[in-house]
Amino acid sequence: MDLIVDAVAEAWRLLRTGDNDIYGITLRTAAITGTSTLVALLIGLPLGLGLALARVPGQRSFIALANAGTGTPPVVAGLLVSIMLWRSGPLGGLGLIYTPAAIVIAQALIAAPLIVAITAAAVMALPPALHLQIRAMGANQRQYLWLIAREARLPLLVAIMAGFGAVVSEVGASMMVGGNLAGETRVLTTAAVLEVSKGQFGSALALGFILLAFILVIAAALTIVQQRARRR
Amino acid sequence: MIALAFRDIRVRRGPREVLRVPVLNVAQGETIAVLGPNGAGKSTLLLAGALLLDLAAGDIALFGERALDGRSRLRQRRLTATVFQESALLDMSARRNIETALALHSVPRADRRGRADQWLSRLGVAHLANASPHTLSGGEAQRVALARAFAIQPRLLFLDEPFSSLDPGTRAELVGELRSLLADGSTAALFVTHDLSEAQLLADRVAVLLDGDLAQHDTVEVVWGRPASPAVAAFLGYALVEPTQLPAAVTEAASIPANAGTVAIRPTAVRLSIDRTEIGSAYRGDASIVAVQGAHGRGRLLLDLGEARIAAELPVEEIRSFKVGGIVKIEIDPGGLVSW
Repeated sequence: MDLIVDAVAEAWRLLRTGDNDIYGITLRTAAITGTSTLVALLIGLPLGLGLALARVPGQRSFIALANAGTGTPPVVAGLLVSIMLWRSGPLGGLGLIYTPAAIVIAQALIAAPLIVAITAAAVMALPPALHLQIRAMGANQRQYLWLIAREARLPLLVAIMAGFGAVVSEVGASMMVGGNLAGETRVLTTAAVLEVSKGQFGSALALGFILLAFILVIAAALTIVQQRARRR
Repeated sequence: MIALAFRDIRVRRGPREVLRVPVLNVAQGETIAVLGPNGAGKSTLLLAGALLLDLAAGDIALFGERALDGRSRLRQRRLTATVFQESALLDMSARRNIETALALHSVPRADRRGRADQWLSRLGVAHLANASPHTLSGGEAQRVALARAFAIQPRLLFLDEPFSSLDPGTRAELVGELRSLLADGSTAALFVTHDLSEAQLLADRVAVLLDGDLAQHDTVEVVWGRPASPAVAAFLGYALVEPTQLPAAVTEAASIPANAGTVAIRPTAVRLSIDRTEIGSAYRGDASIVAVQGAHGRGRLLLDLGEARIAAELPVEEIRSFKVGGIVKIEIDPGGLVSW
């Protein structure tokens, strides 16, 4: 019990005194997860729309693949990216291993299937008449895709939330491809793991609180956007 | 000028050919109603005309120009508007629905709001300009859908059973509104409906589709008075009988040829002489009631007349007192018989 009380007290002290390391890690986490989610969105949204709308052979298999991808273990994603970016790997020449960019790539790989699968499901759930109506209104392909995405905007925000949730909470991939280097690739999750391994439960708990607060703030912001979109 | 021309079109759904139309034209300013039972290919014909599905064969031309590649199809599609059975409004306010359609037609931003409000007002839903589609009744949503369609000032309008899910009162109102909107003759229209009375009110000509084939194409009066085949007659509600099943007085009065194999009797040609006073028809006699039916304000008695089963169509209020098994005195107007 003392351990928990001491840990909470230490967490409060670190947060109250504005520990530079912790705030640096927090800002880095925000930057990396934000970028990963954006990259995953840029990949996942068009792919999800394409999967839902294209009438091509094997469409169902691709959707099944995207659905299966939602369960990609972060460690597997980290392993794949590590192999690709390792100095002797196919993309080793880029020198990205143990950099924030490597974490972004690995996290985008984790989040993209979620965004693809949810986007495809959201678009396929729209009434068939709506697709015909938008085309009948004289929309070209770009306008058609924009209006379809707009119609599916509420579930698309869920896709973004799911993608963000997946990357902000993962630790395995960030550890493998980022190396948990202080001041460079250390993020909230990897820092918490390190603190626990050192027995610094107060610091670990402080990092946990910040991580939860960070997730709550982003989720609240996305929920507000979602509710506004619903009222329009 | 021909607004819409179908030439030898064939449409497939998977392995099945669902539509075959050799020739069908809609002239500028003309309204054609497409009638047919469920699954006859009516909506498929409309989608083909609106350039919203691919043909297996044949050509479609809008205003004299064949729809060829994607770009020309898009340009031609922008000459048209389509209203579907479900209003299919976008998830935005009624006004923004219309503004979006206007934006897709490159109407300057400054003009969009005024035009949207003008058409909402014309369709009687100006007070719903800011309403979300989810809050609209079926009739209100269809009014907004019509406003959206007319706001872009289409030269060709496609209507796919736009009123079929509405209550009779709203439906009658909207048919009246549509009639007045089409009355200025600037817009051609292809109007899919199940309802002959809607076709009679709105259309200059009628195309009857049966099992994917264009079975008859003519004025409403001709189609209703002289169905081209027993199948068209059956769809229109005529009773089909063999000439020998009818009393000789009826076939003689109607000058049914001796070699005729089928006689169709129009339901409105069979009248009940309830007060037993003669009304100047060719035949009078007793018939027994087999069924009492009704829909859309029209009632129908199925009657056994000798060996023939015929139908009499009357206002619902006139037939509600009849019971199955009862005997009624009927008269048959020979002008309502067609034979093949």
